Amino acid sequence: MAAVTEPVRAPRRSNIPSANVQLPAVQSYTQVNDEIIATLRGTKAWFVGLGLAITALAIGIAAWMYQIYFGLGVAGYAPPVMWGVYIITFVFWVGIGHAGTLISAILYLFRAGFRTTIYRCAEAMTVFAVMTAGLFPILHLGRPWKFFWLIPYPNWRLLWPQFKSPLVWDVFAILTYLTVSTTFLYIGLLPDLAALRDRETHPVRKQIFSLLSMGWRNSDREWRHFARAYLFLAAFSTPLVLSVHSVVSFDFAMALTPGWHATIFPPYFVAGAIFSGIGMVFTIIIPIRRWFNLKHYVTINHLDAAAKLCLTTSLIVGLAYVTEFWVAWYSGNKVEQDYFINRVFGQWWWAAWIMLLCNMVLPLSLFSQRLRRNTTWLFILSLFINLGMWFERFVIVVPSLSHEFEPWQWTQYAPSWVDWAILLGSFGWFSMWFLLFIKQFPVIAIAEVKEIIPPPVRRPHPHEDAIDTSARHLAFETETPGEHD
Amino acid sequence: MRGVLGVFHELDSLVDAVAALKKERSGDITVYSATPRHEIEHVMAHGPSVVRRFTLIGGLLGATFGYWIAIWASDYWPLVVGGKPIAAWVPYTIFGFEMMVLIGSLATVAGLFINARVPRLTMTVGYDPRFSDGAFGVWVACPPDKERAVAATLERNGAVEVRSER
Repeated sequence: MAAVTEPVRAPRRSNIPSANVQLPAVQSYTQVNDEIIATLRGTKAWFVGLGLAITALAIGIAAWMYQIYFGLGVAGYAPPVMWGVYIITFVFWVGIGHAGTLISAILYLFRAGFRTTIYRCAEAMTVFAVMTAGLFPILHLGRPWKFFWLIPYPNWRLLWPQFKSPLVWDVFAILTYLTVSTTFLYIGLLPDLAALRDRETHPVRKQIFSLLSMGWRNSDREWRHFARAYLFLAAFSTPLVLSVHSVVSFDFAMALTPGWHATIFPPYFVAGAIFSGIGMVFTIIIPIRRWFNLKHYVTINHLDAAAKLCLTTSLIVGLAYVTEFWVAWYSGNKVEQDYFINRVFGQWWWAAWIMLLCNMVLPLSLFSQRLRRNTTWLFILSLFINLGMWFERFVIVVPSLSHEFEPWQWTQYAPSWVDWAILLGSFGWFSMWFLLFIKQFPVIAIAEVKEIIPPPVRRPHPHEDAIDTSARHLAFETETPGEHD
Repeated sequence: MRGVLGVFHELDSLVDAVAALKKERSGDITVYSATPRHEIEHVMAHGPSVVRRFTLIGGLLGATFGYWIAIWASDYWPLVVGGKPIAAWVPYTIFGFEMMVLIGSLATVAGLFINARVPRLTMTVGYDPRFSDGAFGVWVACPPDKERAVAATLERNGAVEVRSER
């Protein structure tokens, strides 16, 4: 009887687990210091980038001065659309900040290893994005110099803010978020500032790093309290990040405007914020890892894992979009139903379809591992996500205000050149701070990277088997189309 | 302050040296490493950090302040709307929560600074810049008569450099 044999098949390429976050090309603590501190040297491209950012900021400042002189009417508002580009961009930048805290705090609590090499950039992005967002409510004021009236403090007028107003909730939430994010970033920087201080030879820079590092010495006492404090800061930041965008969503959800008055808004906003922030993380980290030669720190596995997070939040956002339509239909509320039909087929149909395409459809490509590991595609996709998330906020703000209950309230809205110039200025402001940051401070956390590489030992490490030094993912990277373009 | 500083290139050598020094009761030991290591934590065997108490107290004070400022201001300047409470606890929870996070976080940082003794104005004694790079270090604060014995223990356990400082 003839033997039955299985047909021979070509071996399938195995699925690369992105949980593999080891850094096989990083061998020693000194190498970490050398390579990461080397990124602080200024380059021509950096100066060009900084020049462009400052130019964009100058355009924004000029437009704002023009607006202060001539009044808010130059901003393209058309009653009843009295929230336009400024509030859209405010929500956009607050959202951008959220992924930073997600990556630095929430993923820290979950012990997600892929955060280690990307969290510093993400955290800095958070601080500068919130700084940018905080400008927009002030820009939106007719008399911006009176913004401090929103802060509760004893004053001769005996006036206090209205604590039941969502706008006051915003003030508390955003200021808390900015303070805690900045604190979290700075505390995480302390050991790295000490490393910079100890390496620095220029006397002035050494003095500055000495002051900033506060005499940090890497002692066991410092590390013991640092670890606990960092954990608690992460634990505080986790509910904070969820609360801040929930509070921002209340700005809308507390109003009886069609399309806004929905209980789905807080989770919808939080998911959208994290989604947009991850998009911005890709926009920032992919050029940085290439220009700064940090591909062996921010590996394809790290990007792959972050792309899965991006896909997950995209699916949640997509579900929220669909649920909004379902709620409108199921409510039986004619005004709400008309609003949602108007959203996709009315005067702003193009904005809605840009939003749906960029936020729901294109991210589905991340189901493909090959595309998740293709940095060129991730970068292009991240630009679409940034665009789509700005338009999401446009779709929330403008169609609702321009299509309220009564036909006399139905109107048009077109941003003016002042709106666009200030939007450009906000990108200049954000980019300027970020570019200044990456040349003064390490873009990758030196101390935390050292935690994940094997320490130098005389005897074999008892957990050596658990450390994957096979460089499998590096071998895979070279096969990935677009990675080395 | 006077003592002996040892520089190590390997983590296990450092751990062995610290264990030996603790056994000999040589003096107050400070260990330096460029990154926190569980091996060092275990051999030093300190108790849990007290930073958590600062966090708890700060968080409770913050939550109390957040609720108090909103309730007090509403009571001081009441806006009477039919059927609506003057002080509404549901929206005021936002202030309680945000202030809990803010004051709790700042208290945590204060706890870190107080317990870790930073900012530190001087750091020349008992420290070496290599400790933020690739080397590990041990500083033993001890009287002059013990310095020789401490130095011998450090060298026996693999220290690549030992020096007395004051």
